[in-house]
Amino acid sequence: MPHKCVKCGKIYPDSSSEILEGCEQCGGRKFLYVASESRRRKIPERIPPAEPKSETKEETGGAEGVAEDLYNSVESIRIVSPGTYELNIEKLAQSGETVVGFGKGGSYGVDLLSMMKSKKKKRERK
Amino acid sequence: MSIFIQTRNRVSKFLQAFFRKKRTRIGIYGPPNAGKTTLANRIARDWTGEEMGQVSEIPHETRRASRKSDITISGSNGSSITIDIVDTPGVTTKIDYMEFLEYGVTRDEAVVRAREATEGVAEAMHWLREDIDGVIYMLDSTEDPFMQVNIMMIGIIESRNLPVIIAANKIDLPAATPQRIRSAFPQHPVIPISCLEGKNVEDLYEKMVNHFR
Ligand SMILES: Nc1nc2c(ncn2[C@@H]2O[C@H](COP(=O)(O)OP(=O)(O)O)[C@@H](O)[C@H]2O)c(=O)[nH]1
Ligand SMILES: [Mg+2]
Repeated sequence: MPHKCVKCGKIYPDSSSEILEGCEQCGGRKFLYVASESRRRKIPERIPPAEPKSETKEETGGAEGVAEDLYNSVESIRIVSPGTYELNIEKLAQSGETVVGFGKGGSYGVDLLSMMKSKKKKRERK
Repeated sequence: MSIFIQTRNRVSKFLQAFFRKKRTRIGIYGPPNAGKTTLANRIARDWTGEEMGQVSEIPHETRRASRKSDITISGSNGSSITIDIVDTPGVTTKIDYMEFLEYGVTRDEAVVRAREATEGVAEAMHWLREDIDGVIYMLDSTEDPFMQVNIMMIGIIESRNLPVIIAANKIDLPAATPQRIRSAFPQHPVIPISCLEGKNVEDLYEKMVNHFR
């Protein structure tokens, strides 16, 4: 599974030595799986499922870390404005990765960054 | 770390294959408010005595997939299947926080809810790609079955060769026209039901036992 540097977004193929030694581009030492998380995650078993609703899916984030080729690919989720989203179902069905795109002008970074934050919090807790 | 986890999971997969039969995961998919959670609860209640999730008239109440394992459903001829039921967030192509405002949700809450619902759709599609062996596609019989999202989802499910049963829900309502669902998807079994009243759910169980085996 490919990995992405959390700091600069550079993507490395599976089992690259940089993942153990640090990113060659920025020296970052944190990498995320960018393909499917299924091998680690399980569908939460929940009876009853009344739980805090603040969980954020890892793949939806990636603000500062999105590599350039991701910007150019068709996004699976488009943020039209904060709270308004367009979803490309077929794209979501295909790729192992969720690519999030901004609305015109890219002025809605705040929303995406908040996704990123809660994601980091979640990881650090582990 | 990643290599370790991968190896560990590979080993556990291997052990699973040896010691346990593969789980059959049945996902309940469909547009928001079709009655997916109502059905998941009914199945869980009928066969295990427990509930699964929160039913609501507000769309996108279910924003994370949830699962109930090891449900054994028996058919009339004595055969049975043991499955995991996965209740999923409703799949749509557009989510707007404005649609929550009419239910008395504040603007801030609505924006958060919209974001969570969006993530929920991504999650539902993630499980469809990775870990679902059969689908109950849930439709509200009072709604137009030809909505773009339904055509797309059925197409995606077909392209993955997953067995699918279409549940034409809410037949207790006078406006219900399950026959329109039949003519929209003649290639799949369509079971008209009312999850609320429990009407025809026996037919659905019978179909599940035969179709998801
Ligand atoms: N009349 C009627 N309403 C139903 C039926 N099944 C579910 N509902 C209602 O439809 C709404 C959405 O149900 P829910 O299970 O939360 O839908 P979901 O979004 O697909 O999970 C709720 O108000 C339910 O009470 C049914 O068979 N008949
Ligand atoms: Mg639901």
